[in-house]
Amino acid sequence: MILPSYYEFCCRVKTISGQKALEKIPGALARMNSFRPMIITDKGVSGAGLIKLVSGAVGKKVKIGAIYDDVPADSDYKVVNAIAKIYRSKGCDSIIVVGGGSPIDTAKGVNILVSLGGNNLLDYCGSGSVKQKLKPLIAVPTTSGTGSEMTLVAVIADKDRNIKMAFPSYFLLPDIAVLDPRMTKTLPPFLTAPTGMDAFTHACEAYIGLAKNPLSDTSALQAIQLVSQNLLKVVKNPNDLNGRLALANASALAGLSFSNSMVGLVHNLGHATGGVCHVPHGACMSIFLPYGLEYNFHKVGDLIGDLLYPIAGAEVFAETPKKARPEKAVACIRQLNQDLHDATGGRHFRNLKEITDRSGKQLVPKETLPLIAKTAIGDGSKVYNTEEITYDDALMVLEHAYEGIPLNRKLIKKGGKGQKF
Amino acid sequence: MNINKYPEIKPGVKYIKKIYIAVMLFIVGRAMQAASRIDKTIKKEFEDLPDGFTFSLGILPNGPYMIVGKNEKGKVKYMGWNPAGKKLDLKMGIKNMEVAFLVFSFQESTTVAFAHDRFIVDGDLTNALAIVRVLDLVEVYLLPKIITKLAVKRYPKWSELSPVRKHINRILIYVRTFTV
Ligand SMILES: [Fe+2]
Repeated sequence: MILPSYYEFCCRVKTISGQKALEKIPGALARMNSFRPMIITDKGVSGAGLIKLVSGAVGKKVKIGAIYDDVPADSDYKVVNAIAKIYRSKGCDSIIVVGGGSPIDTAKGVNILVSLGGNNLLDYCGSGSVKQKLKPLIAVPTTSGTGSEMTLVAVIADKDRNIKMAFPSYFLLPDIAVLDPRMTKTLPPFLTAPTGMDAFTHACEAYIGLAKNPLSDTSALQAIQLVSQNLLKVVKNPNDLNGRLALANASALAGLSFSNSMVGLVHNLGHATGGVCHVPHGACMSIFLPYGLEYNFHKVGDLIGDLLYPIAGAEVFAETPKKARPEKAVACIRQLNQDLHDATGGRHFRNLKEITDRSGKQLVPKETLPLIAKTAIGDGSKVYNTEEITYDDALMVLEHAYEGIPLNRKLIKKGGKGQKF
Repeated sequence: MNINKYPEIKPGVKYIKKIYIAVMLFIVGRAMQAASRIDKTIKKEFEDLPDGFTFSLGILPNGPYMIVGKNEKGKVKYMGWNPAGKKLDLKMGIKNMEVAFLVFSFQESTTVAFAHDRFIVDGDLTNALAIVRVLDLVEVYLLPKIITKLAVKRYPKWSELSPVRKHINRILIYVRTFTV
């Protein structure tokens, strides 16, 4: 266990987890003095009948002020502005957000506007602009991955400028996270797989990142174990409610962890690829995770070796010599990607080359790699990666990930061995 | 006369630290201006920033600060130590004097300082990262390798820049920092 000379950790999200967690929402709202929530969600969630479930559990005791169910796949600031207008005109006093990363980020953005005033979210750009308590926000995640229900950041796109803006503030932490397996049960296997890998990535990056600390480590290792033991199982058997609840918990734990210790290369490249080519976040995570670990072997090899225990279990860990553990951990992750690829009939991607949209069009053509690399060096998560990431480095890793071949570690420009925390 | 009535006035350690940091900020600010005219990479970083972009780097809550900005013609200028009355696009602050001293005396690398949440960034993060890259490079020019290695994640291999260029640049930046 590494004890850094200094760290900060904060989590104040009340978590309600269980088979009937939704029914606890009205009481929780009343305790925050809120009686007219607005529900924010997306078409996929409402189409799957989940809003009916939520309003069924909430609506008997509380009057729902408005339902907005048209959040796009990439949370956009214009949508945020529009929803804030509706919230005001309907006289709502709190937000229940039901969905994955994009609706939760959108809802956080809406909360900034409706609590602090103004009509344009862009006025609140930058990390110092949200400095006070916002309206009550309850997050009900419907994917087990982003961990946004536990994080203090809202990531919101500006599609005109083709960038993603981050709004970090402790006041953006939801007040309550509700983990109910009924909410993730309908998520199809080809989406369960990459979102689970997103949670997995949060935990891994939190464990090897520069701002790691004993509190974030504990939740990271638990999250990794829960994903390793349940993801493939649930992908093969989507109705496994206990497995679903385990993944929802993994996602929350991983969110808690990375929210306090930040992420590194994997998210750095993932944000950039998502921004430039509109690839779903989870797909990028599954592909980049092995590289994010390999890239940092010379700095934090021992820590990566630690990951083998929650990934593969006590026996494999014990029979692998210490020196071989980092590579074994990476090999296990590549194998998991392969297994998920097989279990989803090829819809879980293993490299950038094979990412396609529904019409079968390739989403990341090779010519876009330089643009992705350029975008990556302007993304904040590179700060917390232990090794420096320049344009050339990013491009080098992208080229490997495009083909899906293991990283040629001779090409990494090493800035010294080991890392002080 | 009771000499004990007139205790020796010692400048507090804190005061000395503050002066040290103020001097460092002054040098770094001037060096940024100088380097932006000499080093191609730094020049490019500034070109990519919006016109009229101005930022401050300083110690919270009361300074010292340094302010650097691009004027209308795109030239990078060190604009002094006083943020009052200036329109700042980006404010980078170190949380307190003690921490700032750790950073400026190279006991804690900028990287680790970031990880320890020592910085408060107010403004666009992408621009902040560009400034951090410039600061890293300026340190590489200003300070001997043995010190800079403690401050940056990875010391650039000079093979990426011809050795002649490196030393000429270094001398030019030094000269301009302390004269022009
Ligand atoms: Fe993520």
